[in-house]
This record gives sequence, C-alpha cells and structure tokens, in this order.
Amino acid sequence: MKIEQAIVLRNEQIAHGIWRMSLVAPDVASAYVGPGQFISLLTDDSWDHLVRRPMSIAKINEDEVDIIYKIFGDVTDHFTKKCPGDSMNILGPLGNVFTDYNSEFAEPILIGGGVGLAPILNLYDACEKAVMIIGARSADEHFLNHKPDNSVYLTTDDGTAGIEGNVLTALKNMNLSENTILFACGPEPMLIAIQNYADEYNIRAQLSVESYMGCGVGLCQGCVIERQNGQVMKHSYHEKYSLVCLDGPVYECDEIIFG
Amino acid sequence: MADLSIKIGHTTFKNPIFVASGTFGYGTDNPELVDVSNIGAIVTKSITLNPREGNPPPRIVETPSGMINSIGLANIGVEKYISELLPIYEVMDTPIIMNIAGSSITEYIDVMKKVEAVSSNIVGYEINISCPNVKEGGMEFGVDCEMTEKLTRELRNFTDRLLIMKLSPNVTDITAIAKSSENGGADAVSAINTVVGMSIDHKTKKSNIYTTYGGLSGPAIKPVGLACVHKVFNAVKIPIIGIGGMVSSHDVIEYILAGSCAVQIGTANYRDPGIAEKILNDLNDYLDEQNLNSITSLIGAVKTYV
Repeated sequence: MKIEQAIVLRNEQIAHGIWRMSLVAPDVASAYVGPGQFISLLTDDSWDHLVRRPMSIAKINEDEVDIIYKIFGDVTDHFTKKCPGDSMNILGPLGNVFTDYNSEFAEPILIGGGVGLAPILNLYDACEKAVMIIGARSADEHFLNHKPDNSVYLTTDDGTAGIEGNVLTALKNMNLSENTILFACGPEPMLIAIQNYADEYNIRAQLSVESYMGCGVGLCQGCVIERQNGQVMKHSYHEKYSLVCLDGPVYECDEIIFG
Repeated sequence: MADLSIKIGHTTFKNPIFVASGTFGYGTDNPELVDVSNIGAIVTKSITLNPREGNPPPRIVETPSGMINSIGLANIGVEKYISELLPIYEVMDTPIIMNIAGSSITEYIDVMKKVEAVSSNIVGYEINISCPNVKEGGMEFGVDCEMTEKLTRELRNFTDRLLIMKLSPNVTDITAIAKSSENGGADAVSAINTVVGMSIDHKTKKSNIYTTYGGLSGPAIKPVGLACVHKVFNAVKIPIIGIGGMVSSHDVIEYILAGSCAVQIGTANYRDPGIAEKILNDLNDYLDEQNLNSITSLIGAVKTYV
C-alpha cells in the first residue's frame, strides 16, 4: 500500500447523484492485486474532514485508477468540485479481493446495488464470463443499459428501466447450478437478502461490505464486522470481530453477521 | 542540527515525538508507510489482563475537525503481548512504552508483574486511567485523586521502568489528579486522553456510536489539551507528555510552549501513519531556523498576559 498524490484525469456525473473519477496514480495502480480492493481518499489538505473516505476501485487501466461515488454529504460533494489536473491524496490499494470467479466450471453472477456497483464493474471486467445484475431505485440512477442478450440485467424499484423490482427479483428468475457463485456489493439490506438467499439455496456467495473506517490500515480498530463462530481470521484479536479494512472488504457470506 | 533528545525520569529518548496509544497498533504494522526507527517512542495499544473483543460497531465517526471513537479496549491480552510482541520489540530500534488498562488495582498490577517477570527492552509503562469508553477502562481511577495516588504508588513498587499516568480531561480539576500521580511516584504524566463526545445523525435520529458516548480526538480538542497541559505544568514538577490533536510541527511547538517535554501524535496517524516522522523533520527545521540547540528552553515558555 502507498500514499500518493494522485492527479485527477476526469471527474464527471454519470447518473443522477453518481459520479465517476479517474485518477492517475502509478504507485497505487502498480500495487493493485485485483477486484474487491479499494482506495481511501482525503478531501483536501485541511483537517476539517480528517478521516479518509474508502472507495472501491471501479477500474484499473495501467496507471489510472477509477472510482464511482455517490453524493452523500459534504465530503463527496467536495469530490465533485475536483477538476482535471487537481490532486487527490489517496492511500491504497487496500483490502482483499474476490476469488474463484474464473475457476473452471464457475458460473459467476455479479450483483451490484446503488453505488456498490463499483467493485462489481471492476470484477465484471476481470471475469472471462459472467452474468451481471445491477439494481437502482430508478432509471436515472443507471448509467448502463439493460442487455439480457449480453447477460447484463438492470432492475429498478419503480420499473422505469429493466426489470421492475430489486436485484433479488432478477436473481430469483435465473437458473442457478451447483457451480453458481454470487458476488455482491451494495446496501446492507441487499447484502442481507443475498446472504439469506444463498443460505437457503446452498449457493456460495462473496459479499463486499461497507464499513466506517478511521484509517484503512488496521491501526484504529474501528471498522469491525461481526464474524460467525469459529471463523478466525488473520487480522483481528479474537473470534468475534473482523477488521473490514484488512480481513475484508470481501467475505464469504457464511463468515459474517450483519448488525 | 539541534539536539532533540529528551530525558524523562532516568530514560533518554532520541526525540520528543512519540505516537499515542491506540493510534499505532502495536508498532509492528504498516512497514510500507512508516519507518518507526525515527519515532521517539511508540506507546502501544492498551493491554488488559485478558484479551478483549472490544465494543460492537459503529465504533468510529468523523466530527468537525475530529473524530469520535469507542473501540472498547480491544486487545490481545498480556499473555500474547509477552509471547508475540516482546520478542519483536527486542530487535526494534524504537523505544516501546506499554500502555496498561484495568478495572481494578489488582488487574493493573497483575499485568505489570507478568511483564516485569520476563526479560524485555520496553522502557516504561503508560497507565490508562482515562478510557471513557468502557466500564473497565480505569476511569474510576482517573477521576479520583485518592485512587490515582494509590494505584500509582502500588505500581511504583513493581517497576523501576518509567511510570507514566495518562490523564483524562473529563474531570473537574486535572491538576489534582496530576498531583496525585506525582505524589504516588509517577515519573511523568501524559495528557490528555480523549474528551467525552457524542454524535447524532439527524436524518436517522440515531447515535453514530454504538456506546452512545465516545472519545473525541483530533484538532478539535487541541485547545482543550493545551489548556490541560499548561495547568498541569503549573501544578507539578514531573515532566508532561502532551497529547491532543497535533497534526504539525507548529502544533508540537505550541504543546511544548504550554509545558510538554515530549508529545504523542494520535489521530493524525490514522490519516498518514508516517506523519510523526514528517513532523519530526519539520520540528528540526524550525529549531534550526530559530537557532535553537534544543527544545529545552521552549518548555512551558508561553508568554501569557496574566
């Protein structure tokens, strides 16, 4: 992991309230391991907002690192003001990666909800073959097209694009096999629904979870998620909690318990 | 180049920039981001007799120019500290100060006795009598003069190493607790621990921290820390290690002027684990610019109006 003054290459709105930023960050890009990893960004040099904001990597292209972010508060609003040529202090790459998506016989289904789409898009690029389901509340929050022929399915709560319903509505209509592996990132209620679904049908699922982080590198011990019994991981003191920044953000769905 | 070495009790440190307990893990993480050999001392995360899971999430939230944490003294326990970490510290160049937390005098003593019973190169102990986030965090000591003096005196019996009492700002009169520490035989006090704070999400109407209250840290508490250090400086003769919201060499100089002989960088490590080293370099430059050979003449030298 590195701390780097990355240079903004592009920063544009791609859907309602959702932005994509491309950064030139050769140090971080060269240390990148795979989809699932994230970077952590500072707003600026001031200490008004002192905590870095973790953002999943949406794409790595040579020395470029892309993130997709939703305007959520002061900090993300500040991100939208960044222009090409501006610098951003970033720390990364951080966290673990999705696994086994290109294993022999694997039939990956990728599920992204809301801004949780970023690592899913990154994973989609890395998959030799995959089905992808992307959920949003409404058509204006989508920036891809519904293309069932290409195995890309959109869902909207209000039916204004793709399938009316949520990502589970789409998932339930798919043919699953014993080789299916779900890969998901999105709001916690969505991840809980997928966890329950995977459990009920005995399907393997890897979930990328979000957590409030103070540092991203294991120092503050703030970003914990409860783990299921007996799952001792490398970066945590005992058996009850796991540090999302080091052990995660990607977990097998039977490893963790949502709060 | 100025001589940055300082002496606390009988221990000499190569420079006065330490890293604070709970903000730097056990000093063995993140070698890619920080060269710990340049740090004056590492105060390791609070250790209790038994391992602790810590509090449920959410444990962290950002606040204006600061953050609130309520980790709940998650730690590996003293046995693992001895078996896994002390051997690593043997081969590190950086002095290690072990922070101990407990819920009774016996617990503090048991932890210290276990460490004293084995050979190690740790240079001292910082006694956490001020964790605001758990019942077992020692706060009952940190707000009570008699208890503070008793605890300090008891611990003094078990070690010749540095004994530093870490003071809470969440008291009516911090100088009284500092005096009790001095009377009990402490070599130094460190001040301040975090300030009790709360954060609420007006949209969800929920507390942002599981334990409702947590410890506020970061630049937001720098004025509180400065005032506490200055008051304590005027009340006791033992050295003060300043803590509270320092992010730059300028902040460090202010803490020295208020009365600190050394400082601990805390929350700033979360943003950049290598920041202590940068602050040290800037402090060196400052002393050179000021033609000062050491920080000694600056300690407590703030010019006040009254």
